[in-house]
Amino acid sequence: MLELLFDPSFAASVPRFVTPILLAALGGALCERAGVFNIALEGFLLMGAFAAVVGSYFSGSPWLGALAAMLGGVAMGLVFAEFNLRRGGDPIVVSIAINILAAGLTTYLLRAIFDAMGAFSDPAIAGFGPVSIPGLGWLPVLGPVFGGQSPLFYLALVAVPVASLFFARHRLGLRIRAAGENPAGLVAGGVSPRRVRLYALMGCGALCGLGGAQLSIANVNLFVENMSAGRGWIAVVAVLLTRGRPWPLLLIAFIFGTVDSLSFRVQGLGMPQQFTDMMPYLATLAVLITLSWWRRGRTANGGAP
Amino acid sequence: MRTLRESAVLREAVSWGVALAWIAGVLFLLMALVGAPFGEALSAFLQNAFGGRRLSYLMATLSRAALIAGMAVSVMLSFRAGLFNIGGEGQLVAGGLVAALAALFLPGPPLFVLGASILAAMVAGAGWALLAGLLQLHLGVPLLVGSLLLNYPIRYIASYLVAHPFRDVQSGMVQSHLVPQATWLPYFPGTRLDIGILFIAAASLFAIIYSHFTLHGYHARMNGLSPAFARTVGLPVGKLTLQTLAMSGAIAGLVGAVAVFGVHHRYIDGMLVQPLYAWTGIIAVLLVGMIPWAVPLSGLFFAAIQTGAAGMERSAGVPKEIALVMQAVIILFVASRVSGALVASSERRAGGGEGA
Amino acid sequence: MRVALCGITVRFGALTAVEDVSLAIEPGEVHAVVGENGAGKTTLMNVLFGLVAPQAGAIRLDGQDRRWTSPQDAIRHGLGMVHQHFMLQESMSVLENIVLCAEPAGRFGLVDFSAARSRLRRIAEQHGISLALDRPVARLSVGERQVVEVLKMLYRQAEVLILDEPTSVLTPQEKDRLFATLRSFRTAGKAIVLITHKLDEVMELADRVSVMRAGRLVWSGRLSQTSKEEIARGIVGGALPPARQRAVRTPGEPVLAVRDLEVAGRSGAVGPLSLRVHAGEIVGIAGVAGNGQGELIQAITGLAPALSGEIALCGRPVTHLDVERRRRLGMSYIPEDRQRMGLALGATVSENANAGRDDRRAFTRGPFLDRAAMARFASGLIERFRIRVGGPSALAATMSGGNKQKLVVGRELARNTPLVIAENPTWGVDIGAIDFIHGELMRMRDEGHAVLLVSTELDEVMALSDRILVMYAGAIAGEVAGTEADRETIGRMMTSRAHQALPEVA
Repeated sequence: MLELLFDPSFAASVPRFVTPILLAALGGALCERAGVFNIALEGFLLMGAFAAVVGSYFSGSPWLGALAAMLGGVAMGLVFAEFNLRRGGDPIVVSIAINILAAGLTTYLLRAIFDAMGAFSDPAIAGFGPVSIPGLGWLPVLGPVFGGQSPLFYLALVAVPVASLFFARHRLGLRIRAAGENPAGLVAGGVSPRRVRLYALMGCGALCGLGGAQLSIANVNLFVENMSAGRGWIAVVAVLLTRGRPWPLLLIAFIFGTVDSLSFRVQGLGMPQQFTDMMPYLATLAVLITLSWWRRGRTANGGAP
Repeated sequence: MRTLRESAVLREAVSWGVALAWIAGVLFLLMALVGAPFGEALSAFLQNAFGGRRLSYLMATLSRAALIAGMAVSVMLSFRAGLFNIGGEGQLVAGGLVAALAALFLPGPPLFVLGASILAAMVAGAGWALLAGLLQLHLGVPLLVGSLLLNYPIRYIASYLVAHPFRDVQSGMVQSHLVPQATWLPYFPGTRLDIGILFIAAASLFAIIYSHFTLHGYHARMNGLSPAFARTVGLPVGKLTLQTLAMSGAIAGLVGAVAVFGVHHRYIDGMLVQPLYAWTGIIAVLLVGMIPWAVPLSGLFFAAIQTGAAGMERSAGVPKEIALVMQAVIILFVASRVSGALVASSERRAGGGEGA
Repeated sequence: MRVALCGITVRFGALTAVEDVSLAIEPGEVHAVVGENGAGKTTLMNVLFGLVAPQAGAIRLDGQDRRWTSPQDAIRHGLGMVHQHFMLQESMSVLENIVLCAEPAGRFGLVDFSAARSRLRRIAEQHGISLALDRPVARLSVGERQVVEVLKMLYRQAEVLILDEPTSVLTPQEKDRLFATLRSFRTAGKAIVLITHKLDEVMELADRVSVMRAGRLVWSGRLSQTSKEEIARGIVGGALPPARQRAVRTPGEPVLAVRDLEVAGRSGAVGPLSLRVHAGEIVGIAGVAGNGQGELIQAITGLAPALSGEIALCGRPVTHLDVERRRRLGMSYIPEDRQRMGLALGATVSENANAGRDDRRAFTRGPFLDRAAMARFASGLIERFRIRVGGPSALAATMSGGNKQKLVVGRELARNTPLVIAENPTWGVDIGAIDFIHGELMRMRDEGHAVLLVSTELDEVMALSDRILVMYAGAIAGEVAGTEADRETIGRMMTSRAHQALPEVA
């Protein structure tokens, strides 16, 4: 097992799995901190992945593909805002509907636009290539992990401290935290919590869109029906576990990403695919259980003032 | 006062009209995108949902509706008790898998095998639901997350079992052997509709009686309306949670068994997951705001959309995924209206209670 | 700045909350607005502050008509409000709370905290306020939180300060400090509006008084032109209920015995606590909200687990029993939060009345409900506790606050258990309901039940209790006999551990 971890090609594959989860979870963190119970990250991701392929196919540029992915995610965020914030729909109901909407719409549009069933790949889809970081190559584990990845991975890494600073020091970050904790305080100060939450949802959509772009135009160069495959749900769990704090999110995303890529690896070692497919979900459950035990232990000790 | 009420009714009607217009608008836009002829598509939709030679399509709709309605009833029991159990899919798969395997390996007269297999399926569904409940009560995993995550392991376990140890290799497909023909549910005379729908009808009847007329149902609903209240007045919340989940899961397991004995006659990999029975069941419950008697009708409605869309695909070239979009958009408009009314009234309450 | 409200009318649906009210607020004056709960005081002030749009009437600042679209407008024109329930963010620091919604933003929209800090220092010095700006609000006492709210108004350069029931959560000493600050504001020429229902405070501080009842202004003028009795009559609209008579009674056996109880609290453990409640006495627990009363009650009722210690009910250990078993053994509980814990608002009155009944046989047949028997029981409660509601099948949400509370009180007292726990039982209900609920609790005591009353209203505790325990910082700071209680002593205990002063604690 250890041998495997030090296998450079394994190490190099970890970021491919970390990036979509991390980006989606950072988006989810915006919602979580703003008091929007958004469990539609799966749908946001999927729409982002699809929009990335559309943008990249028609423009020939992966960057425009990423932009399209962000717009696709923002569009989903606006749908969420319309039905949850403006019309007052229950966030769980709206999330379930959006997840179904994304699944249906991407498959429908895949056939409507590309006339493809199930999957679509074409040389015209321009993907992100690896970015080489000079001077990293000789490091044993860190070298392959942090060198030669897609630009979206580096973006995701930079996004963590930025998000942390945003929540601590930025005007909107402060208001987002207030909207999540005591929105009445915002109302009394003359700021509409609804508007603050709208911004959070839009930001969430953009980040999830980029996560989707990593799936479709950085990891591979194609779109497959339902290609988010539960990663949005894992991001939801990561957000719930960390209560939307960026640095712990980074850690959790790396844990999940490693398990994800590990399961991909051991498949090659002869374990039935069904068992390796299960691993991310079982790992998620295990992390959930461990953390809740740990938290329970802390409250039982009372935590002296 | 009367004019006030009349104008409220009018407002209500207008906003429903606007919602319908929006739904229709979205659909026409999508159809225009693929250049489908509207009229043809619409007639194909209706024909396929309710028509067919000797009403064969209607029968297909009903057969699908039975499964969706069954899942809806299962989910409803949980939701009314305030338990966001979205693991219906896993419970359904557990039921279907166990039903097929039990029927393949149990000895005895066919009727006994059928009965025992259905029972085993219900136990399996209940067990899988209980697992999510135990995770919440004893290990602190929120039910919403735990029940969802449990969908995946059982899906893959089932897939493994019918891909390796219990695979019908000759068929070349990832599926189990056929269950003995004598255990197949018979068709209604002169139709192609199996009697599985009767099992679902019985489950629905049970759910309606349970929700409205039993002490357990009353207590579960109090917990659903306000968990803090249920705890405060000393209702056994933990026990209530587990029992309700077990009932929910048992019904999901029953649906899985009906799918095996009535429709597919074996367990095929993905046969219960791909058609999104569980998710459609959830939105069918949400559509009617958890009113017990309306839930089966709502299931029928969504089944009609799905079979209708399949007809549109065949006759007018509209991808059948339009059904998913249609369902999602309907839920967005309808569920947000229903819960919006709830939120508005609770806000008014809070304002009135505080004493301005 | 001179503020005038002219002919303000506010309706919520069919309910008229404020009807044609006009009054003037002058700089350098304290203007008290008094009235019962539900008289419309808060709504009126919410209009002035831009939180509620009136159906009719105008707001005039220095003779000019103003229209607010949001509180932001009101704040910009120099109005500030401290709400009854503080509008603070617990997880944020004092500084973050104060700048929130008025952030001095620098590059990229990053907040310039150092500029805000130096400005706040100046303001605080000017008014003699001291407060650590970097402490999280969660760790502040209620009194300190109020200082944060006041600072927040000053930071925004408010000229008109509205304070909604500012003393309801303060100890007498903290109240004195607040009033001293308000006097300094008055001297500085600011206008202060004090919303209150405590007449002593009006007499102490106000220059001008407006009395409201049922949404109307019944009297407005200088304090010197009226008297305490006249204001009181104006508030209730007639004669006051007579003072309550207390029958002499020797307490019996202990019904509830708590020994060395420790409970997990939000900011550290609560306890160890020991107390006893005997049959035929009311034991009142006084204290500022958030000093561990809630945790204590949760542990006694079984809603939260005890970390250590023992609880005995009627001589039986119950520490490890769940809520249901404790209730069966003889416990009733009137929770503070009737909207969530006391009632299921979406259910009918009948369903609420029958929940948690011990005699399930009386309204079931086998596993099935006997709806008629349930309705009969609910009708009985409605009659006996004079609950105004459409009937057993009406939704609980349709009742007024006072009637909701009567339903909770009725359901719990009808169980006739040896122990009754009442947590702020009259919070936010009208005077008629308060009087009725107090009467019922006294009746229970006289009939030999043990009553444990937790209230943040010192007057309520003093009026009802045979013995008073004061809680501070998760511990019992002292005990006073009901007959010997005075506000000053209790007030001191509310802010300090007074073990030394009173060695004979419970």
